[in-house]
Amino acid sequence: MIKEVMKDLKGKLKGKIIDIVQPRVNRIYIRVEPKKAPEVIEYLFFKYKCKLCTATGMDMREGIEIIYHLAREDKNMIINVKTLIPYPKLEIESIGKKIPAFRWIEREINEMLGVTFIGHPDMRRLILADSFPKGKYPLRKSFKHSDVTDEDYDYERSGI
Amino acid sequence: MDVLKKAFKKSIWVFHLSTAACNNCDIEVLELLTPRYDVERFGIKLVGSPRHADALLVCGSVNAHAKPRLLEVYRQTPKPCLVVAFGSCGCSSGIFRDSYSIVGPVDKVLREIDPDVKIVYVPGCPPKPEAMIEGIVMGLGAV
Repeated sequence: MIKEVMKDLKGKLKGKIIDIVQPRVNRIYIRVEPKKAPEVIEYLFFKYKCKLCTATGMDMREGIEIIYHLAREDKNMIINVKTLIPYPKLEIESIGKKIPAFRWIEREINEMLGVTFIGHPDMRRLILADSFPKGKYPLRKSFKHSDVTDEDYDYERSGI
Repeated sequence: MDVLKKAFKKSIWVFHLSTAACNNCDIEVLELLTPRYDVERFGIKLVGSPRHADALLVCGSVNAHAKPRLLEVYRQTPKPCLVVAFGSCGCSSGIFRDSYSIVGPVDKVLREIDPDVKIVYVPGCPPKPEAMIEGIVMGLGAV
């Protein structure tokens, strides 16, 4: 069954993706350019009826790699859409603009890794403390715990 | 010192505060109230407001979000009061010490506003209920 899906996706997404591989029996990896990522994911979400499991961001040193994990339950498989956003301009079009399920995970990636999601409707802090200094991203490889000391916190913003 | 002795002569009322704890210490505090240990027979009682408390029981490595809250609760507690840093995290921030959001163990945070604060350290992950009773008793012996 997954072979049909592979064949179908190869035809439909031709020209939009860099490559598509099937590493395991129920898994498909798709690699895309950051600019084409929203288009591909919206196709998979609306036309292909995939669900969002989660998205993960990771600092690969040359850039931030975001992997969108999409599941197709009736076909029992997971499609991972990978995109690498190179330093220093960490920007990608927001998918949460059209699909609300992506909003929270985009907020989290924004505050932990510093990726800007263009067009996101609600970019407040999600999990870091309100007093945490702006412009510091704790999950980047270049971050050390000594980068943020007690003096950097702005307790005026903590709501007490 | 006479004031302290007078203040802690009768039943100790405790306010329990969790500052970014993993909840294990908080569950262990509950154990103290069960019939097996039943600290209320010693007059140690959990109260709902820091304004009624003689002692603060602080669990957890203090993070940036909890620090202003901890200081505010400490300000509201009538002095003299006893602070119990409960668990490994309360004593030394534990395994979370080098994390990005931790601003220091309980003693470091409280000494910023009151250098003379009386702190009892009860280490353990979580500490045994016997250890906690002993901690409070030792704290009372120290004053």
